[in-house]
Amino acid sequence: MEGFFPQVVFNIFGIPVRDTVISTWVMMVLIVAVTILVRRRWPAAIEMLVDFLNDTVADVMERPAEPYLPFLGALAIFIAVANVIGVVPFVVSPTRDINTPLALALIVFFSVYYFGIRAKGVAGYFKGMASPIFMLPMEIIGQLSRTLSLTIRLFGNIISTELIVAVIFMLVPLIAPLPLIGFSMFTGLLQAYIFTVLATVYIGSGMEAGEQ
Amino acid sequence: MAEMDPGTLITLVTILMSGIGILLGTLVPAIVEGRAVLKALEGMTRQPEVAGQLRTTLLIAMALLESTAIYVLLIILILIFANPLLDRFF
Repeated sequence: MEGFFPQVVFNIFGIPVRDTVISTWVMMVLIVAVTILVRRRWPAAIEMLVDFLNDTVADVMERPAEPYLPFLGALAIFIAVANVIGVVPFVVSPTRDINTPLALALIVFFSVYYFGIRAKGVAGYFKGMASPIFMLPMEIIGQLSRTLSLTIRLFGNIISTELIVAVIFMLVPLIAPLPLIGFSMFTGLLQAYIFTVLATVYIGSGMEAGEQ
Repeated sequence: MAEMDPGTLITLVTILMSGIGILLGTLVPAIVEGRAVLKALEGMTRQPEVAGQLRTTLLIAMALLESTAIYVLLIILILIFANPLLDRFF
């Protein structure tokens, strides 16, 4: 069990770098390379992916998805690849470290403010947030707690399925872990979808607050 | 029981409470999620034209419900792998 949790590999200027960070870098290069390759060979595949993301975001948000698609689509692709890449031997999935989901959830937290202020202006946004003034503390607590729950949901799902695979692997190393590995890939893709849909819901509700 | 040293006692209580906690913490969300799926399926069979909307809402609701089970799992992982009491006293 010692090697299961993220390890510090080396230090850059006194900042410890964990193995999950290194696999994040490798993954970013991989995503960019595969995207360039696929765009050159099969442009229709990229089109299908963008169409799917566009439809999902537009359905949930009930407005045109173009301004939000670059952010939300990048989020979805990053999390999906990060969750699935853990099945490759000797590669740890970046979302196994709680810092990666926390960083993603903080990006969502600040993007809610960014899109809300861009849609309604600074004064309009904060007036909408405190429309009856006593609701302001509740609103702030709600925003912080849903950031926490986004973090814990992604991290907990990934680490629990990988723990199950690790425990079964210790007991029966031969065929038995295979269906569980498939299940963990399914869970990872589902969690990427859920994270993106929830981020969409939060951004949409941030732009609608006090609009009625 | 009185002769047991504190480290063993804390470990024993931790393991017992982890078992009880994961039982209750997964039982309740599982029942509630089952009810949510039941109601959503009833809605889908009654009005197939809104099935897509219902599916999205169902997935979001199940993610929110499941996060309670994940909180329990996180607490138990902390208790088992990084028990603060064991670190403080021993």
